[in-house]
Amino acid sequence: MVDKRAIGKRTVISDSKSNVAISVRGLSKSFRLPTERAWGLKQAFFNRLRGVKGYKDQKVLDNINLEIKKGEFVGIVGRNGSGKSTLLKLLAGIYYPSAGEIIVNGSLVPFIELGVGFNMELSGRENVYLNGAILGFSNSEVEAMYDDIVKFAELGEFMDQKLKNYSSGMQVRLAFSIAIRAKGDILILDEVLAVGDAEFQRKCNDYFESLHGNQTVILVTHSMDNVKKFCDRAIMIEGGKIACEGKPEKVAEAYEKLFI
Amino acid sequence: MKIPRVWDKRNLVLLTELTKTDFKLRYQGSVLGYLWALLRPLLMFAILYIVFAKLLQFGNDIPHYPVYLLTGTVLWSFFTECSQQGIQAMVGRGDLIRKISFPKYIVTVSTTLTAVINLLINLVVIVIFALINGVAPSFSWLLVLPLIFELYLLALGISFLLGSINVKYRDIGSIWDVLIQALFYAVPIIYPIAMVAETSTWAAKVILLNPIAQVIQDVRWSLITPATVTTSGFVGVWAELVAMGIVLGTFVIGALVFRKRSRFFAEEI
Repeated sequence: MVDKRAIGKRTVISDSKSNVAISVRGLSKSFRLPTERAWGLKQAFFNRLRGVKGYKDQKVLDNINLEIKKGEFVGIVGRNGSGKSTLLKLLAGIYYPSAGEIIVNGSLVPFIELGVGFNMELSGRENVYLNGAILGFSNSEVEAMYDDIVKFAELGEFMDQKLKNYSSGMQVRLAFSIAIRAKGDILILDEVLAVGDAEFQRKCNDYFESLHGNQTVILVTHSMDNVKKFCDRAIMIEGGKIACEGKPEKVAEAYEKLFI
Repeated sequence: MKIPRVWDKRNLVLLTELTKTDFKLRYQGSVLGYLWALLRPLLMFAILYIVFAKLLQFGNDIPHYPVYLLTGTVLWSFFTECSQQGIQAMVGRGDLIRKISFPKYIVTVSTTLTAVINLLINLVVIVIFALINGVAPSFSWLLVLPLIFELYLLALGISFLLGSINVKYRDIGSIWDVLIQALFYAVPIIYPIAMVAETSTWAAKVILLNPIAQVIQDVRWSLITPATVTTSGFVGVWAELVAMGIVLGTFVIGALVFRKRSRFFAEEI
């Protein structure tokens, strides 16, 4: 079983002298998509028998090069399906690169989604510990910040209720309160953070504000306001390639032109 | 080649939290709750005892036959539960695998550890049962723990191997469910191995080469009576080593295949 798919590499180093947080060279990613009814053992067997591949390789990212400096707040924009999320997942180590190299300098905390691993059958309290463990906190660390999390989420009296009895707004509030405690050298935030009502938006904004300048952040967003407000630099991805890179205003303009 | 940092603090915390969650959720919403961990093998034992010991008169010449039968069913339940849930572990935790990056074996281990906890609870029941039945406590009881470890290693190896294929081809889980039904009759749980040996020594020897049979007979030997027919006693020490070799081989192959395939779990699940 020689797998020819993965020849790329992702390494995590810890070099405090270098001012580079993430370095990406010639990164490509292809997904192996099954063609008609190629799922299941039976079909796989017949496909092999007939010499049919049963899948096609779809290139989602093609030769991406980028470098992110420590302390930089970088926005990644692009249309739906342009490859932004795939890039994020590759940086986070969830997907494996098909070609090229990713070097991550320091610890990296990804928020592809809020409340990863949340379980509806568990109480709010139990979910805080579970989600905390998933974000890399020890039990004693979660214990130390538990009261702050509950207070920030404004869920004091509900913590012993099962999560399935929470409204969706309450769930997001709880997840967000845990998420913002996460400490890493590099934070990766997908646009999911920008959901919720006006009050929640304000809290998000405060959080981004507090990160600016102190932390290396990669933010994927569709909001050009956010790009202009928070980012030092922006990158636009189109069709799996970097189409535009530079000052947030310039990239925002290029992005808006896509839809004319 | 990078060796996974099994004792990395972060991984250990994640492992304990996931195990706790699995254990809590297993009996969530049932009236009897954790009691089911005890009731299931005991009820299975009751059925087998009535059918095979009382109606068919199996094991009349084996001392403490009820304890003998209970030990067999408990170990078998453990192996079934462990491997079946281990194989489904990746698919069941797709939500995590698609969203964060972490060593995937943590999920397989945490899922199978629930079965280990159940087994340890049941072990207490067996010991109480044995004492009531008049089995004399002995130092050989301590051998039970390494034997259980051997059985766990086998179940874990199978979970790694079949679980990683099951990510792409979900048929594997169903195939294993059927296979394990057949395997039940190939292991001396309900019938004493001596019964097979009476008709065919050769068949009995083949049965005892199976590591599951080897573990079950060895546990019975060390826990209940030295009169138990064991792999090393009946076939030879080499056979005991072959059975252990099968366990080790399955585990190593399973772990290697799992490690190789696990980088694609996030996109294939």
